[in-house]
Amino acid sequence: MESLPIKLLENLNALAGGLFLLCAFGMVATRQVRGCLHFFIAQALFLAMSAFILGALLHSWDVLAVGVINVITKPFLIPWVLQRNVRGEMYSRREIDQLLNIPTSLLIALALAIAACFLALPLLRAAGGGGFAAVNLPIGLAGLLLGAYTACVRRQAVPLLLGLLAMENSAFFAGIAIAPALPFLAEVAVTFDVLMLSFIVGLLTRTIHEHIGTTEVGALTTLQEQPQP
Amino acid sequence: MSLIAILVLPLAAMVLCLVPLEKISSTLAGWIAPVATLLAAAAVLALAIGDSLHVAAGNSIIAIANWIQLDGLSALILLLVGLVGTTAALFSWGYMARRAHGEKRRRLYYVHFNLFFFALLAVPLAVEPNLVWVAIEFTALFSVLLVAYENTHEALEAAWKYIAMMFMGAAIALFGFLILFWAFKLGGGVTYTWAGLRAAAPHMPPVLTKTAFLMILVGFGMKVGFVPMHTWLPDAHSQAPSPACALLSGLKTTVALYAILRLLPLLPPNHTATWLLTIGLISVGAASFLLLQVRDYKRLFAYSTVEHMGIICTAAGFGTASGYYGAIMQMLAHSVTKSFCFLAAGAAVLAVNTRQIASVRGLIRISPAAGAALLFGGLAIAGAPPFAVFLSEFSILKAGLMQGRYLATALLALFIGIAFFGILGGLNRMVFGRPMGDPPPPRTRLPFTCVLALLLGAVPILVLGVYQPRPLHELLNKAVATIHFQIEPGSRNGRRPAKRTTVGLTRRTGRPRTPTGKAP
Amino acid sequence: MIRMIAYNLLQMLVVLGFSPLVAGILNRLKEMVQSRRGPSIFQPYRDLRKLFHKDQVFSEQSSWIFRFTPYIVFTAPLFVTLLIPVLTSYPLFFAFMGDMLGGGFVLALGGFFAALAAVDAANPYGAMGASRTRMVGFLAEPVFMIVFFTVSFVAGSTIPYIVQQAWVHPLANFFEPSHILLLLAFLMLILAEGGRIPVDNPAGHFELAMIDESKGLEYSGRGAALMKWGGYMKFFVLLCIFLNVLLAPWGLAAGTAPAPVLLAIPLILLKIFIFLLVLVVIESSLAKLRLFRITEFLGAAFIISVAAMIMRVFTF
Repeated sequence: MESLPIKLLENLNALAGGLFLLCAFGMVATRQVRGCLHFFIAQALFLAMSAFILGALLHSWDVLAVGVINVITKPFLIPWVLQRNVRGEMYSRREIDQLLNIPTSLLIALALAIAACFLALPLLRAAGGGGFAAVNLPIGLAGLLLGAYTACVRRQAVPLLLGLLAMENSAFFAGIAIAPALPFLAEVAVTFDVLMLSFIVGLLTRTIHEHIGTTEVGALTTLQEQPQP
Repeated sequence: MSLIAILVLPLAAMVLCLVPLEKISSTLAGWIAPVATLLAAAAVLALAIGDSLHVAAGNSIIAIANWIQLDGLSALILLLVGLVGTTAALFSWGYMARRAHGEKRRRLYYVHFNLFFFALLAVPLAVEPNLVWVAIEFTALFSVLLVAYENTHEALEAAWKYIAMMFMGAAIALFGFLILFWAFKLGGGVTYTWAGLRAAAPHMPPVLTKTAFLMILVGFGMKVGFVPMHTWLPDAHSQAPSPACALLSGLKTTVALYAILRLLPLLPPNHTATWLLTIGLISVGAASFLLLQVRDYKRLFAYSTVEHMGIICTAAGFGTASGYYGAIMQMLAHSVTKSFCFLAAGAAVLAVNTRQIASVRGLIRISPAAGAALLFGGLAIAGAPPFAVFLSEFSILKAGLMQGRYLATALLALFIGIAFFGILGGLNRMVFGRPMGDPPPPRTRLPFTCVLALLLGAVPILVLGVYQPRPLHELLNKAVATIHFQIEPGSRNGRRPAKRTTVGLTRRTGRPRTPTGKAP
Repeated sequence: MIRMIAYNLLQMLVVLGFSPLVAGILNRLKEMVQSRRGPSIFQPYRDLRKLFHKDQVFSEQSSWIFRFTPYIVFTAPLFVTLLIPVLTSYPLFFAFMGDMLGGGFVLALGGFFAALAAVDAANPYGAMGASRTRMVGFLAEPVFMIVFFTVSFVAGSTIPYIVQQAWVHPLANFFEPSHILLLLAFLMLILAEGGRIPVDNPAGHFELAMIDESKGLEYSGRGAALMKWGGYMKFFVLLCIFLNVLLAPWGLAAGTAPAPVLLAIPLILLKIFIFLLVLVVIESSLAKLRLFRITEFLGAAFIISVAAMIMRVFTF
């Protein structure tokens, strides 16, 4: 167990975790739509890296399959689906708005990440500690919170969608460690779901752009209860 | 086999709707899509009734073992989906004939309708929790374009909010389900189904189960529309075409709540009571006050959905068999009534072509059918006696009092009372009085299918209020038993026993047990 | 004992002697990347010699601080050299005088006096540069702290000689996430503290855009030479910490015989050269950030260092 290659692989898995977390931070902080997309893709690749390492160490084909699915879907299919529908969106705008400025966002994100680690502690303790979950669960939880946070502060359609997809990434990042025996069918279904989501959101964004003339979905606030005149 | 047929029928109808018949003959195209949809829905309903009777008689139906099965609670939900789906499909026929913009868009509506119906049916049929997650997520994905169907500014905005919140909730719930699976494996479970989960529950680490439950409660709570996460609900449920609203409000929220209820037997009621009661009461309270100031009658019904989801959640929080009975009864009553309400609202839209409460007066003179239906639906959903909602709300309040939760029961009763005035105050102004406008809008006749759908939809509301058929009673009892926490012999209060006695249930985590072991 | 002291002094000589060369090589490389020939790599030596032969001019308004500062700026990096591994992988005579934090303080002392002197000369650009340097410094400080503390978590010590061993024994430790993340954060710090692009442009001659350079504008003759040399040495010392302590603790002399220690000199120069190649790529491919974006740059470094800490503290 403590032989060098295994220790090395464990460390590489943890490294993938650290970089995964950094990508989540990058998605909070970056100003460009494309930058956000690149961070998302990198995040998916680190997820795949972790999946490959875990799959090899646990001898689990299901986990390896998660890695393969991620390598196929996230860097290729999702950008393709997005570019098909919202090509202009991906290239035209240089900077994207946020509700909060970036240093504030980063500090809040940092607080969220640390909170996630504290939340994961009792879970790990209850599960008897140890294992790969010790790395993947806190990171996955932190990624989930950061993804939700990204989706909350982004006002543009595509970065918001990427924040949501990052949440799914994070769930799987934890999932490959805590539930390696998850049925393969479930993974395929989730991937299909994610693709459908990207497609529908792309379609919706295009329709919104055609009908309303903006993709700043944060500015859509016509539907609310006005006080009685 | 009938379960597979139930799943295949809407898909077949969807495929039929995909065929661009309007290029050959527009009359044919105008008939094929609605008829196919209606036939599929009716066949599903017939099969569902048959299966439910079978389950009520004490059998269980297994189509694919450990993946697609039917038990008490899911039979009930299946029955509900079939019933509401049929009335909505019938109503769609007349409604979409008048409201759709062109044959192609109308056909697309039916495509989405069938897909959505399929996803709704898949939720109760699947017994593998991950599959249920996927099915619930599909109900969201396939209904987005129904919400955006009108393509107006408001509809698109509503659709956007809807999909964003849906997926955020789904991602949180997915994490919850993964933790649940982790706990399940640590607890030595073998077959990952609702039943298998329940069997393994006493051996699962309680912290993990609780965390999973909480994450799923928050995640699916977004889909149900519990109050801090409800903002999308009135928007989406008011912007979709009315028959789709009936499915959204009557079924989609219900099936998400169904998945939460399924988790209840995993934890002792005293662990979950606080969360459920808090979320439930906040939802009921906030919704009842919001009901007082809405100006759009479809939004009125949408807020009423938030209120009813809160009531069900509170009832589940009481944690006794009678509480669960009330909760399931309320689910049933709410689904049939709320879908009827939205169909009535659709009829009103057909009659006056506006959704503003303030700009409608004397609906009963403009269109007696729409006016009467709106009044009937309003009374039924607000909880007036002899309707189904009254009965179920009454049994919930009774369960609360019997359990000694006086404060929660009193608050619940108060909020229900406020909501009653909120709903009927608005509708009263619309239905009665002298029609506004100069000259007043002409008398309109509703399409025949719409009237028929309203009549059919009214039947269960009335019947359930005064009489409960025996098989239904059996089914309800079985459903309650499905979600009721029972202390297993050999374990104390759901905690992990000191030693496992079950042979063969070894700990199979598939993971090296030693910690990663960094350098000291 | 005597030998240890001798090696320690040798380290100082290496830093003293080769730091202008490093600056010269870096300049030359940058020019080459931009398809220009550029000055000889020995140009910094010539500059220093020229400046040492010139007269000094002092403003009448300035105080002793202005006169005194070049000596502090010059000697501070030399003191730090005593504490860090430049040539040997075992602690030398003065190594236990201070840890990495101590080294940081000594370097900061030089910076502090440079800022004071810049204000003292009453040149408006000096004060502006001083305030900007302080801004960068304030933002870099917490990152330094977290990097050092995380390092001390790993090694159980803040003495650089002990830290460098912890990363490579066993080798798998090298790939620990906290290590890689620390490297990244520290690289960003070097860019900020060394006044490199994207934080500052060392080759810029436009006073309004200067951050680091404008502090020395008032100096002439020997003072200017000392300030410049001090700057070169500070950069060299930072590179030594980065390369020998954090990134690549290989190639250092393990034995006490003179030969391996002397052999370590070309090795450290080689390491620095390779790093300079990377640095040139970074500098040539990035644009200088707007002043108020520096907050974000160092904010990112902070996030990375905290992520490194999280990976170390929370995941076991």
